Amino acid sequence: MEDFEGKKILVIQTHGVDTPKRTYSPLYYAVASAAMEIETTVWFTMNGTNQLRKGVAEMIKLDPSSNVTLKSMLQMCLDNEVKLAVCQQSLALWNMTPEDLIDGVEIFGATTIIDLALNYDHVMYF
Amino acid sequence: MGYTKINECVIAKDLYYAVEDNTWVRVHDDGTVYIGMTDIAQSLAGPILHAKAKPVGKARKKGRPIATVESGKWVGPIKTPISGEIVEVNEELAADVQLLNKSPYNKGWVVRMQPDNLEEELKDMVTGDEAVLKYKEKIERDGIEACAHIEGTDSYEEE
Repeated sequence: MEDFEGKKILVIQTHGVDTPKRTYSPLYYAVASAAMEIETTVWFTMNGTNQLRKGVAEMIKLDPSSNVTLKSMLQMCLDNEVKLAVCQQSLALWNMTPEDLIDGVEIFGATTIIDLALNYDHVMYF
Repeated sequence: MGYTKINECVIAKDLYYAVEDNTWVRVHDDGTVYIGMTDIAQSLAGPILHAKAKPVGKARKKGRPIATVESGKWVGPIKTPISGEIVEVNEELAADVQLLNKSPYNKGWVVRMQPDNLEEELKDMVTGDEAVLKYKEKIERDGIEACAHIEGTDSYEEE
């Protein structure tokens, strides 16, 4: 495998619990990226924000026969050192406060995301 | 070689295990070590679709990834339990990646390493009856279901 250690990927997730089938893949890619030792951040904004409300992601399951939920996908990200960050302004869109967020999520403003987009090696937008 | 099954999950008793990372080490006569994933790991992942190992010559500290493995439902690193340099990658996995499922302790090894500090790091691993005991505890604690095996899996004769 080519060595990508030290590279950085930013994953932007704009899809949330209203479209479950669009929620898993970006997180899956993020874990794969982190497993390849690429510094990986998932940035949740717009509808993507609502999956970070405590108690919500546990309810989202793509395969009824599986015990994998969207919450376990988010946890898999954290376990693999994927940084999870949410758009501060999007919290207001969903009437959420920082206390509503699951553990392990950072809050960034718009200027931070622009910084990240310019400084990362690649941006994947969903 | 002696095998033990716990809840259909095979433990090869001659290997050293990093129980929480579900990896094993086999010490070769020349001082190098083979590293792979356990039967429990392959069962939890399900049929493997892709595996990419780090290249030969890559130095790795204990706990760093030596490969990335993905199935339909899981993706993640295989973390080396031993520090050292990768001296060989299992090229057979390129032709049949599901050797990881079918033969996790034999043909499905992932990399061979030249260890830096083998004697010391093996002390953090378990082997033989102690490995069986630790896996019994882990299987109960984590509620791990009976291991599943795909067609073509090695046959294991229990001791």
